[in-house]
Amino acid sequence: MARRTVLVIGSGPIIIGQAAEFDYAGVQACRALREEGLRVVLVNSNPATIMTDPEVADAVYLEPLTVASLERIIARERPDALLPTLGGQTGLNLAVELAAAGVIEKYDVELLGTPLDTIKLAEDRERFKAKMIEIGEPVPSSVIVTDVESGVAFASGQSYPLIVRPAYTLGGTGGGLVHSEAELRATLATGLEASIIHQALVETSLLGWKEIEYEVLRDRANNCIIVCNMENIDPVGVHTGDSVVVAPSQTLSDLDYQMLRTASINVIRALNVQGGCNIQFALHPDRNEYQIIEVNPRVSRSSALASKATGYPIAKISTKIALGQTLDEIPNPVTGVTKAAYEPTLDYCVVKFPRWPFDKFPLADTRLGTQMKSTGEAMGIGRTFGAAFMKAVRGLDLKFETLTGGTYGDWSSDELERILVTPTHERLFAAAELLRRGRGVDELHALSTIDRFWLYEFAELVALEDALRAGRAAGEPDPERVRTAIEAGYSLRGIASLCGCEVGFGGPNSGQFRMVDTAAAEFPARSPYYYLSRGEADEMRRPPNEAVVVVGSGPIRIGQGIEFDYSCVHAAWALREAGCSPVVINNNPETVSTDFDVSDVLIFEPPGADEVEAAYRATNARGVMLAFGGQTAINLAAELARRGVAIIGSDRASLDMAEDREKFDAALARLGVARPQGRAARTFREARVIARELGFPVLVRPSYVLGGRGMEIVYNEGQLASYIGSAPPPTPGSPLLVDKYLRGLEVEVDAVFDGEDILIPGIFEHVERAGIHSGDSISVFPTQTVSADMERRIVEVTHAIARELGIRGLINIQFVVFDGGLYIIEANPRASRTVPIISKATGVNIVAAATRIALGERLRDMPYGTGLLPRPDFSVVKVPVFSFAKMRGVETILGPEMKSTGEVLGIDASYAGALRKGFIGAGIRLPRDGGRVLVSISAAEKAPDAVGLMRRLVALGNVLVATPGTHAWLTEAGIPAEFVNKISDGSPHVLDLITRRDVDLVINNASGPRGLADNYRIRRAAVEASIACLTSLDTATALVTAFESESGPPRSLQEYQSFRVAAHR
Amino acid sequence: MNPALLLLADGTRFEGSGGAALGTALGEAVFFTGMTGYEEALTDPSYAGQILTFTYPMIGNYGISHDVAQHPRACVAGAVIKQLAARPSHHASKIALGAWLDEQAVPTIIGIDTRALTVALREHGTIGAALAVGDAAIAVAEADLTRYVRSATTAGLVASVADAYLDGKTLEHGGKRIVLIDCGVKRAIVRDLEALDASVTVLPYDTSREEINAHAPHGVVISPGPGDPRDLAGMVDTLRSLVGEVPLFGVCLGHQMLALACGAQTYKLKYGHRGGNQPVKDLVNPGVLITAHNHGYAVDGASLPAELEATMINLNDGTNEGFRHRTLPVSGVQFHPEASPGPFDARYLFAQWLESLP
Repeated sequence: MARRTVLVIGSGPIIIGQAAEFDYAGVQACRALREEGLRVVLVNSNPATIMTDPEVADAVYLEPLTVASLERIIARERPDALLPTLGGQTGLNLAVELAAAGVIEKYDVELLGTPLDTIKLAEDRERFKAKMIEIGEPVPSSVIVTDVESGVAFASGQSYPLIVRPAYTLGGTGGGLVHSEAELRATLATGLEASIIHQALVETSLLGWKEIEYEVLRDRANNCIIVCNMENIDPVGVHTGDSVVVAPSQTLSDLDYQMLRTASINVIRALNVQGGCNIQFALHPDRNEYQIIEVNPRVSRSSALASKATGYPIAKISTKIALGQTLDEIPNPVTGVTKAAYEPTLDYCVVKFPRWPFDKFPLADTRLGTQMKSTGEAMGIGRTFGAAFMKAVRGLDLKFETLTGGTYGDWSSDELERILVTPTHERLFAAAELLRRGRGVDELHALSTIDRFWLYEFAELVALEDALRAGRAAGEPDPERVRTAIEAGYSLRGIASLCGCEVGFGGPNSGQFRMVDTAAAEFPARSPYYYLSRGEADEMRRPPNEAVVVVGSGPIRIGQGIEFDYSCVHAAWALREAGCSPVVINNNPETVSTDFDVSDVLIFEPPGADEVEAAYRATNARGVMLAFGGQTAINLAAELARRGVAIIGSDRASLDMAEDREKFDAALARLGVARPQGRAARTFREARVIARELGFPVLVRPSYVLGGRGMEIVYNEGQLASYIGSAPPPTPGSPLLVDKYLRGLEVEVDAVFDGEDILIPGIFEHVERAGIHSGDSISVFPTQTVSADMERRIVEVTHAIARELGIRGLINIQFVVFDGGLYIIEANPRASRTVPIISKATGVNIVAAATRIALGERLRDMPYGTGLLPRPDFSVVKVPVFSFAKMRGVETILGPEMKSTGEVLGIDASYAGALRKGFIGAGIRLPRDGGRVLVSISAAEKAPDAVGLMRRLVALGNVLVATPGTHAWLTEAGIPAEFVNKISDGSPHVLDLITRRDVDLVINNASGPRGLADNYRIRRAAVEASIACLTSLDTATALVTAFESESGPPRSLQEYQSFRVAAHR
Repeated sequence: MNPALLLLADGTRFEGSGGAALGTALGEAVFFTGMTGYEEALTDPSYAGQILTFTYPMIGNYGISHDVAQHPRACVAGAVIKQLAARPSHHASKIALGAWLDEQAVPTIIGIDTRALTVALREHGTIGAALAVGDAAIAVAEADLTRYVRSATTAGLVASVADAYLDGKTLEHGGKRIVLIDCGVKRAIVRDLEALDASVTVLPYDTSREEINAHAPHGVVISPGPGDPRDLAGMVDTLRSLVGEVPLFGVCLGHQMLALACGAQTYKLKYGHRGGNQPVKDLVNPGVLITAHNHGYAVDGASLPAELEATMINLNDGTNEGFRHRTLPVSGVQFHPEASPGPFDARYLFAQWLESLP
């Protein structure tokens, strides 16, 4: 009998509300399916994922997640079944749409797991509400509306605030809390638009109630278990993705706990869920009353958190349940002896803290509500809440080592109180600062409605910090107090900053690891999953082979995404292959790297110097690998070296050289490699002098940055002055870099160097010219416009730089080709964003190669080849994806500062076809035949090639609509266009046009200072109206190129890669 | 803060700080894995004579409500807590746990590595221990422990806690008349039966067959309680005489005594089951229940005589969780359908049993 084939749909690009948790879930699902002997076909447009590795599924399709694209793949692969509940909301919605389009029936595909009707019922507010009422479960009073007026009518019988929740959206897009009829009208209008079924719920607010979640599993035999419950520190009103979440609940009595547990089981049974399900409750703080807020009949962000919090692999067990197995027959992978039918019990506490992108978007609206805004999260495990909380806070990688201190001391009490009432990402820090100022818990509770329990806990931490600070005067820190702080989850650096002097562990930094065993030590467990518990007994079992520590990259944020997790996982796998025992240290609960079967030892801790050192010493490791964990890991190099921790791979000297501008420049000078002229400035005055010397425009940025944070192109003295006004002052340790800005073609390489030979699987070029962050550019492989001579030069230079820097492993270099010359912009001695893409496009596992080099192997002894590998006969195009709709107030124009949250890949036989798939995957389409394109082009770019672009748009059947300046320019060029007023010219003006959705695409590239407020408002309006807005003519040109031609049929990654293998032979 | 010491019979020492209740607790050291339900556990008569360790590290967060107490007073010999919440936060809280433990004179040790203790108990098995609070008590703890271990007995434990319903009054509800044999009964059992309209008469563990029959019950429930079921030989004999005369339903200790009465054997588990997450497989109506447990002894499933059939087993370790008589109205379960603390998956069993009564 032929093997049954199962189709798994992934969740697509990382966006706010849908992050790496579905990579983790998808990988577990694929593995579980293959364990059962099934053939797995996986579709996901996100190339940075582990799930899209050819090792994970039998056929991987990096194709757009659309009904049309899925139908082509289904027609080609003829899967027997589809597993819809592991690809987040995207995967779920696609399954629903495929069924609605008749595709499921046409190709006779069986839907596994939770029935489609359940999925629809849980998403359809009205049916859901009716069902809950039918089974006697309480739901808030509400109305389902499909138009604004019905919502307003309902509101007249209720009191504000009310909550608006659009149906079928991610992370609550378009929803929110409204306090007045005007707000209700506005929110409802956008919310209805965001909903694919044009439906929203308006309901009474449960503001201030406790928010509690239960993760439940049910099998077809009606067995139910609770994997974990969780309590949000932020009461109802803040999206759970933006809440600080604690597992298990802390303020619920057993009666409360069991009341909600029983309700959870009632709900999951009534809905006939088969697999995982998340249920959100509001629990009244003053009486035994609850309401059901929401049910997600699929794995989710919360189930990822629950899995990592307990060690129970929810996605894997859900998959087995979907295949018809029951909980009492599935083996328990943690203990190895018992069954999956049991409820984990914890003997520790887990805290999840969201990671928001506000550090990159200083102008964003930072208020938290029902619209999720965080990009990722850090989790802390500790025996006490305090320790878990401090680990989560430190793990954000925002340099918060303590709860008090920092800049909050400068805030007025009024300002602090304001954000207790109207929460922002800084609320808990504001609470801590107020506690430090002696304010009482009752008062803070009254302002914030945060349960007193948490405030008491914060007060304890604040008191500890105060005591350490008070000891400052006494000189020597009190060792007892230091010990208390270490046990309470503080880092040495944090304690030192409080005490004002260096402190130590007062003993060896190892031997205090605790096991996560799902059973509170009742049974001996096999899972090699640990956390640090300072001052307690050690349970670390030495790994079977020589250990090597892989340092992870922490929470997902803009500039450091899932791609680094991809590299860490591959490093771990390569280590295992090489006979070593991989030890992974990371604190991101969403990721594959924090699955305990990826490594021989998983240490769930923030990847800080204290913890990495402890991991290294406790496992008696040969060394620590920093090159895969992004800048977070690289930044540890100096401190780890100081503590005598062996760094393997590129060692500290090379890590330092690539970051120390002057050393790097000296190296380039020795090699005769050009760089855009520039120098490091130690003061603002020096920066001004350098800029004048170089001539404007210049690129300014602080050194040691990630994702181009604080980087700007500055065109004149005035802009430089305003940059200086807003940037943190440079210091001798971290100077400001001032470079000449060259607007040329940007080229990027990822290479592996073993000390002698170099391997360059391929060279990327960017669609957008230099000046737009590489993470936000469309990247193309193989190159389309780089000459063979130039490629040779790139290889030479890459080789020379790798040698000069002493690289042993990966190096990523970004170049600009300008006026026929090659200039180097930056070199990173580490894995990069493009590593997964080049690995997938070429089939060359460069992370494995780099890992083996770090262990002492040579490229010539590996199967990958050396030098620049031959070009493939297909193209891949990476298109960035943004989450601007969820980030009110953020400027969308692209520049040196990275703004995208994720990416998709297009692969096709032709470049244009790959571009087209990339754009479609990213959700951008070019209207044709009567589509309306709003154009406003900056004066600087009203050039002949822009005219050509406009003509091509018209030739595709589009109607151009232009603002006055652009209209005049088009008219002069003889291109027909409709005229529309600037905002200042009065209505009907350009904003009206957008708000009415009277255009299908916006091209607006007017950049420069914020004075050009009109353009900013145009771009924001487009985002709010869900109209694609391109801010670079290079992107627009690529879009036209893409839609002038067709793309080819889908092919699996395995098929593409076999081309490479054939070519190689 | 008073110094405190937990000393295990094998010499293992845990030093921590104590509450205000000075003195020494002597008993078996056991651990409870529930993450909530400390008030119910501390007042659960089945913990009489035991030093109870909470594996969940943060205890006392929601205070003491008195509403969920299973007995009028704390029943444990001593308590072991990693971190005691100084200030509880819950609308039902009347008093902080620490203050209540002091009021109840329960010697308590705080701040020790409870996971290391749990691993020790798991590996060694349940073990005699002394929990001493205060310098004076610590000084004599070793001698006390030696004396306790030498004379350790579970006899008398039931008598020490079966005193919550001494009036023998029937709470009339109009439904079936149920005699509930108190071997250290939990309030939740009385509550659950009454909620089902049963008229419950609680009679002590040494009540005779005649006295029981004098109430003309529709059925008899034998309660849970502390210690070894073989300690209550008199009640086992009484139950044997009642088999076939009146429907019998045993819970936990009651289940074990009923098994003995029917000719099965019981034995002591290495470290018992105490918590709210034990999976029980129903062999009659296939399915899994997550159940509340608190027992150190078990019915030997292999020893069930031919007229008994196992109805449920523990999915973790295969121990017997329930049996019934093949022909007579006699059945029992090892776990706690009344939960308190723990999940309510098995609560239906009381209703089902009442339903089955003639």
